[in-house]
Amino acid sequence: MTRITQAATGLGAIQAVAASPTFAQDGLCFAAGSDGLRVSTDGGIIWRDAYATLGLRAPLTTAALAFSPSYAQDRVQRAEGDRTIFAGAVGGVLRSHDEGQTWRIASLPSPPPFVTALAVSPHYLEDGLVFAGTMEDGVLRSWDRGDSWAAWNFGLLDLNVYALAISPEFARDDTLYVGVDSGVFRSSNGGRAWRETSFPMECAPVLSLAISPNFAADGVIFAGTEASELWMSADRGVTWRGLSGWEAPGPINALMLAPTDAQELAILAVTDAALCLSQDGGASWQVQCSAELRGVTCAAAPAGVEPGAQVLLGTGDGRVLVCAL
Amino acid sequence: MSNNLRLPPVFQPTTYRAFMAGADRIVATIRPTLGPVARTVAIQRPLDQRGPELLDNGGVIAKRIIQLPDYRADVGAMFVRDMLWRLQEQEGDGTATAAVLFQATFNEGVRLVAAGLNARRLQGFLEEGIEVILNELRRQTVPVNDAHHLAQVAFTVCQDRELSDLLGEIFDIVGGYGRLEIREGSSRGLEREYVEGIYWERGLLSRQMVADPQRLRSELEDAAIVLSDLNIQEPQQILPVLVTAFQAGLKRLLIVADEIADSALSLLLANSKPDHMQILAVKTPGFGREQQADFLVDAAVLCGGRPFLRATGDTFKAIRSEDFGRARRVWADLRSFGLIGGMGDPRQLRRHLAALRAAHSETDDLALRGKLHERIGRLMGGSATLRVGGVTVRDIEARKELAERTAAAVRGAMQEGVVPGGGVALLACRPALQRCIDATHDPEARAAYRILLRAVAEPLRTIVANAGYDPSDALAEVRMAGPDYGFDVLTGRVTAMGAAGITDPANVVKAATYAGLTSAALALTIDVMVHRTEQPAHATPPSPARRKRL
Repeated sequence: MTRITQAATGLGAIQAVAASPTFAQDGLCFAAGSDGLRVSTDGGIIWRDAYATLGLRAPLTTAALAFSPSYAQDRVQRAEGDRTIFAGAVGGVLRSHDEGQTWRIASLPSPPPFVTALAVSPHYLEDGLVFAGTMEDGVLRSWDRGDSWAAWNFGLLDLNVYALAISPEFARDDTLYVGVDSGVFRSSNGGRAWRETSFPMECAPVLSLAISPNFAADGVIFAGTEASELWMSADRGVTWRGLSGWEAPGPINALMLAPTDAQELAILAVTDAALCLSQDGGASWQVQCSAELRGVTCAAAPAGVEPGAQVLLGTGDGRVLVCAL
Repeated sequence: MSNNLRLPPVFQPTTYRAFMAGADRIVATIRPTLGPVARTVAIQRPLDQRGPELLDNGGVIAKRIIQLPDYRADVGAMFVRDMLWRLQEQEGDGTATAAVLFQATFNEGVRLVAAGLNARRLQGFLEEGIEVILNELRRQTVPVNDAHHLAQVAFTVCQDRELSDLLGEIFDIVGGYGRLEIREGSSRGLEREYVEGIYWERGLLSRQMVADPQRLRSELEDAAIVLSDLNIQEPQQILPVLVTAFQAGLKRLLIVADEIADSALSLLLANSKPDHMQILAVKTPGFGREQQADFLVDAAVLCGGRPFLRATGDTFKAIRSEDFGRARRVWADLRSFGLIGGMGDPRQLRRHLAALRAAHSETDDLALRGKLHERIGRLMGGSATLRVGGVTVRDIEARKELAERTAAAVRGAMQEGVVPGGGVALLACRPALQRCIDATHDPEARAAYRILLRAVAEPLRTIVANAGYDPSDALAEVRMAGPDYGFDVLTGRVTAMGAAGITDPANVVKAATYAGLTSAALALTIDVMVHRTEQPAHATPPSPARRKRL
């Protein structure tokens, strides 16, 4: 890992960070926390209040962020349709089409849910589907690009959602997963109903999920737990096994995957004290620890997880760290 | 001789002949209903002047046949009827398959017993062969989960594309144990509705608790819940609940009790004010203590908190704030109440559901299975309603009955999987039976396996014949094509059934096979028939209803 730059955002604790897919060019990134949402356009050095135009009387706790999948492409082409950034807050999902300068709020069904995770359909431009995982209210689904939301929790026996992961082949397989307080649930009908998986309850909560980019072929999904265990399923979540050789301490707050070649996956697992990188599908790990990494709560890797790629890390004391793997 | 036994007993060889005549009569009535190109059976209505009832369900037809004029044949007919009725109660389908299997096995068995084989030994070997068939059916079973395949399973049962597609969608959402109500609708077609959360058919104890007079409904957000089956006769009995809730800062409260007297209700109404504390009270769901106890256990797991039970002498005197359950939303009207987002421990809920599912799959008691199914369906957190409309009342009734039958089959397929349809799964048991024949020299054993070898082809032959094709030709073509191939009577072609999505619910095929074949094996051991003139036994369903695990 190379030099770490860090900046204070003015937030108490950062719960989510997200960076533009063209972060290397535009330096656009967001940090969300209990005191609201901050935006930076210089790669995470200077931060300002992203909700300033809303004129809020009290800070709006925000805990989830997502860029629409073809944001980079549309930004280059200056297309308006899909340059959307979503922010999940208490009681609503906000979206911006102008790099976070202005926001539109869509209220969620009462009582106000606390949005903890957001996932946008890979085919968002066509299907307009967005999913919001919440604490205590399960999963909300919007089929009109975030305008209206409804709960779809058939079979979701645990409504405390920490993580959402959507299949890259969603248009074909309608599959998504949620990491919850008691394990992992799977939907194979576009989030309209959920089924338990065999993920062991005693190892939950599941804080982070990541689906293989080759999911259609390999069916691989990873789950990181609060108890610092990394689990893997190679059959679309039907059976799970703990990854051997994994020893990094602390809850696994974020997981990111990228294909290195046809056979292997590169995996970045972020705990509250270390960055753990595997370039062989989890068989071996390079663990990077330093005092500066203490208290990392969330991460974003806009350029993937190859060596040298930049990652953004949010911390529990309101800092955003930018470093290269 | 008592009045009951006025007719003389029947001995061999008349026993077999008469029994077969009666059984053949009822099987012949049901045989045309097997397969996707089934025909209907018209049954006269003796009690009114309306036209005959048109039926295509073997189980329902069997129930309608009360008595044959020949008392000797009647015993055989009622034996088969009882078997079919029981099967219909258990699985909701498969009666025509069971009927033709019974006939093929029994008639061939009678011929061989008449030729000198021992009926009791034959029965024993038949039962061994039945186990071979069931194992082969288990081997062919594959799970089915997605909406498309569920719709295909439904279509093989009901042959109604619109109904099949809707049931496929519904079960894809609510799951195999999910709650589905099928009701008569007011439109001409089919409509479905999904309801989030859980509800019970018990309403508000006072009309004055209705907050929304237009919808006659009240709703609470982030509500505390007191679960009990107590009889509250005095205001003092409920006062500790209000005091504890007030001290805990609870603003919205649902009280579930078996009974709350007017004076205690008045206390609740006097303290229910929007700016102070909103209070709703409903009656404990369930008929009788056992059902109420089940509700309290389930609701406590779902919402957390502690249920207060009359049986253990509980009162509200020592209620603490942690005894309250919680839910994100509660609603109640004058007929029912519901919960959305119960805030109990999800791990405990999942363990509780796993225990209920295990009990459901292990019990043979149909009534208990029904209750467990209902509890599991509720706890899954949502329900669906299918409204069946039509042009006439008769249309609606018939389609609703078809929808119920199909829903039961789809549910069974979700829980136990599917096998290739069109009689192919049974036909595929023949190599295993042939191996049994080759492995023994015992004449009764070889005869038993040969009987079964022929019998397992009978459903396919009947399906083909009912569709107007030649069964022998079709069977020859299917044998040439190889395993998993069958005759698709809708296209008139030999097809790979599994790949074409022509499947049958495994539970239905196994249950029909077991019922038809074991009944035939048992019937072969009947030597004397004694006829009783009491009629009610024929008119009532077999009991106790039990389901054998296959």
